Amino acid sequence: MASDTSGAASSAADLKLQFAPFSSALEAGFWHQLTQKKLDDYRLDESPKCIKGYYYNGDPVGLPTRLTLEFSAFDVDGPTPARCCPAIGTLYNTNTLDAFKTADKKALLEKEAKEIWDAIQSGAALKDPSILCRFILLTFADLKKYHFYYWFCFPALCFPEGIKIVQQPSVLEQVFSAKQIAALQEAYDGLCLRRETSAVPYFLMKYTDDTVQLAPLGDWDTFFTDTKKVTVGVYDPCTLSQHPGWPLRNLLVFLANRWGSKLDTVEVLCFRDRTLQGSRSIQHSVVFQVKLPDLPDNSVCPKSVGWEKNPKGAMGPRMVNLSECMDPKRLAESSVDLNLKLMRWRLVPTLDLDKVVNTKCLLLGAGTLGCNVARTLMGWGVRHITFVDNAKISYSNPVRQPLYEFEDCLGGGKSKAMAAVDRLTKIFPGVNSEGYNMSIPMPGHPVNFSQATLSQAQRDVEQLEKLISEHDVVFLLMDTRESRWLPTVIAANKRKLVVNAALGFDTFVVMRHGLKKPPVSPKVSAGADSSPSCSSASSSSSTPAGSVPSIPGSSLFSNIPGHKLGCYFCNDVVAPGDSTRDRTLDQQCTVSRPGLAMIAGALAVEMMVSILQHSEGGYAVASSSDDRMNEPPTSLGLVPHQIRGFLSRFDNVLPASLAFDKCTACSPIVLDHYEREGFHFLSKVFNSSHSFLEDLTGLTLLHQETQAAEIWDMSDDESI
Amino acid sequence: MSSCVLEEESFHRCCQLLLQQSQQLGDGWSWEPVQGSQEGYLRKTALRSVAIDPRPVRDQAGSSSDCGQEEEQSAPVASADADTIRSDAEDEDDEDEGVCAACDGGSQVLQYEYHVLFSCSYRTPVLYFRASTLEGRSLSLEEVWGSVHPNFRVRLQSSPLSTVTQQEHPLLGQPFFMLHPCRTEEFMRPVLQAAQDQHRPVNYVLTWLSVVGPVVGLDVPLQYSTQLHPAASVCMDPADDGPG
Ligand SMILES: [Zn+2]
Repeated sequence: MASDTSGAASSAADLKLQFAPFSSALEAGFWHQLTQKKLDDYRLDESPKCIKGYYYNGDPVGLPTRLTLEFSAFDVDGPTPARCCPAIGTLYNTNTLDAFKTADKKALLEKEAKEIWDAIQSGAALKDPSILCRFILLTFADLKKYHFYYWFCFPALCFPEGIKIVQQPSVLEQVFSAKQIAALQEAYDGLCLRRETSAVPYFLMKYTDDTVQLAPLGDWDTFFTDTKKVTVGVYDPCTLSQHPGWPLRNLLVFLANRWGSKLDTVEVLCFRDRTLQGSRSIQHSVVFQVKLPDLPDNSVCPKSVGWEKNPKGAMGPRMVNLSECMDPKRLAESSVDLNLKLMRWRLVPTLDLDKVVNTKCLLLGAGTLGCNVARTLMGWGVRHITFVDNAKISYSNPVRQPLYEFEDCLGGGKSKAMAAVDRLTKIFPGVNSEGYNMSIPMPGHPVNFSQATLSQAQRDVEQLEKLISEHDVVFLLMDTRESRWLPTVIAANKRKLVVNAALGFDTFVVMRHGLKKPPVSPKVSAGADSSPSCSSASSSSSTPAGSVPSIPGSSLFSNIPGHKLGCYFCNDVVAPGDSTRDRTLDQQCTVSRPGLAMIAGALAVEMMVSILQHSEGGYAVASSSDDRMNEPPTSLGLVPHQIRGFLSRFDNVLPASLAFDKCTACSPIVLDHYEREGFHFLSKVFNSSHSFLEDLTGLTLLHQETQAAEIWDMSDDESI
Repeated sequence: MSSCVLEEESFHRCCQLLLQQSQQLGDGWSWEPVQGSQEGYLRKTALRSVAIDPRPVRDQAGSSSDCGQEEEQSAPVASADADTIRSDAEDEDDEDEGVCAACDGGSQVLQYEYHVLFSCSYRTPVLYFRASTLEGRSLSLEEVWGSVHPNFRVRLQSSPLSTVTQQEHPLLGQPFFMLHPCRTEEFMRPVLQAAQDQHRPVNYVLTWLSVVGPVVGLDVPLQYSTQLHPAASVCMDPADDGPG
């Protein structure tokens, strides 16, 4: 097989004509159209359908000889692309893979070959020689997986002994003068014009030194007055210099059947006609001198071949997986990815999208904030989003909580956590989302009414610990202050990044909690991080906090590293559990301006993304409002500790504050107790009044010293 | 500056002239009407043989997108399925001595399809394109970029024209990539201005195409501009804008 006719050493008598087979070429639109036809038109109809492909003789060298089917293949009467020859085919689309596998390929081929043979014998091929170049396409479309199985056949009738050529093939410019070539081109264009087409598949040819005459195949008897020298032209899609393409094959059988008794040799012009950069050439066409073999029995259809080999060179079908371009879910995924990548390509070349997309986010709270945070995360392509909420959707929710609808409120309302997951999946099926309908135990809300409530609380704590362990970022989005305490403690213990958002009526805070340094050794951990807070509060004359050096009220302190930053509770001088004292933020008793949750939710996510882009992540030094003029620490800009927003003024400030060593949530003493005693300690916190934590951390003492109970609320003046 | 936008009528005129020139140059553009409407689009297909990069493009079931991992795992099993299907006809076919030995290998052929449509909202032409293997599998954008020479790729991706999004083809309803037209007016303005200053006729669509085409591998031969303009080729007559 490997050493073929190109071996010049072999004597001319041994030269066999070998043809370049068609390679099937399908355009993407073909499969889309087949899918439409199958769904709208064919349905379960397996009967053969007429389709149309085309081939072209103007390819540059190196391209395979192709038979192309595009989306217009089903429109048999439609136009063929200019300068291309049409080929009519039969489509057998099976309903099952099994039917595809068991289809009798031999019978299909023989049936098609018989039709070609009949057209040859009846003379129909003389009038319409395009019948010589037909094909079969066997398909099965798996529209669940978007897998398409297919097998092409280009039926060719065979001479039992093959075909001999009497001399090496010649390139046209070696045997034709420039004048003859020009005359041939002109004659071909004239023939096309007469036939009202832009390509003629087969033609007859006569020439002298000065002239070239062409005629359609049907004019044989009038065109050739004697058969001493006969030249036929074939529109040849092959680009190999030693081989003709497939369309010549059946033509030779046709000639042998019809005029074989009168003809010994035939001159064949494999007509190739290409235009490169605006200039046309046909001189690379190839001329073969073919010894026309005898057909042993002119009445019996010769043996036929033609099933296409697969890409591995074996006799077998092909399969193409189009789920990427046809499965709507995959399309949505690739579109979302592409949109994000655009941001990188166009605007932020150093953006590390993988870091964002692969971040696992735990959303504690699926209310107004949770819904908005989830949507913004989706916008960033975050795939892993988990909700925790114990509430049901009520009638007032859908207008403010964009993951819910009126229908979700009926019958007592769906669980928010579950409904949020359903909606996310509807918005984007590629998301990996789970919901947990559970409550989070809170300080000052006893759980020891019975053994059952106690063990339920223990299970809830364990579940929450597990969830926090399994995620990378914890969002605190609840509507009560107390419920933020437990996840703050657990996340601090597990060194997880916490992003916290809370709303007032027209103010909000979005902040990252300080990320404690990894525990070095159990002994040293206490106190190591909480070097006596040197507060900058003294510089802030507007607040009496200046008199309390260990409390970082509003800090203008710059360059606080991430591990020294405070948590949500660090600014408190009362332990959570006492809602009457401090509720500037959290909307339990107030209602926010409707836009506030969207703003704060979006900022919470954008803050997370900026932190993730920083090489030190949660340990990054906090940017402050003063840094707005400086070189930003990440490709996306600043990584603040807090964003405090004032909707009345449409203004945001970026304060940063130190961790408070008497904090009821993140101080070393609280974390130590949690680490050593676990649930035992937590249950004491749940079951006791708020004074338990205040006593433990020394806040009680502090109260007695300062009596400045309410001043730690967010003050509009701070940090400015 | 009304001269920097394009009316649909002018778009069609520009397309007709481009088609005439394409026919003379054998450049392969055709007009595809949409059944049952006045609309249509310019279409051109091109084949390119690319050296096989064993990693991304070759696997027929493959996807080189970042998050199709599980699917990729399962696909080879399915394609193996296709391999197990055997033919009764094959034994005889193996003996076909009339076939020349395959001489491809080392390269893969990709089919590119380019469509030029008119965007009513931007009042500019818009270029849609897709590339597929000979099996008809559309390439992801990474694969398309992957088939471009690496040096060229960086330049293209940082080009202000390379805002590529995936969009449903407005007339065919099939997924295509689209060069977003948001900056078309911006880069066409100076070109049209210059033509106006020199009282030179300009084919908006052709000029635009010669700028955006190369970004996605679409070659616009120089002969289009060197070819003698028929007098009628004034598509964007700069004089339209003036008082006279
Ligand atoms: Zn704290």
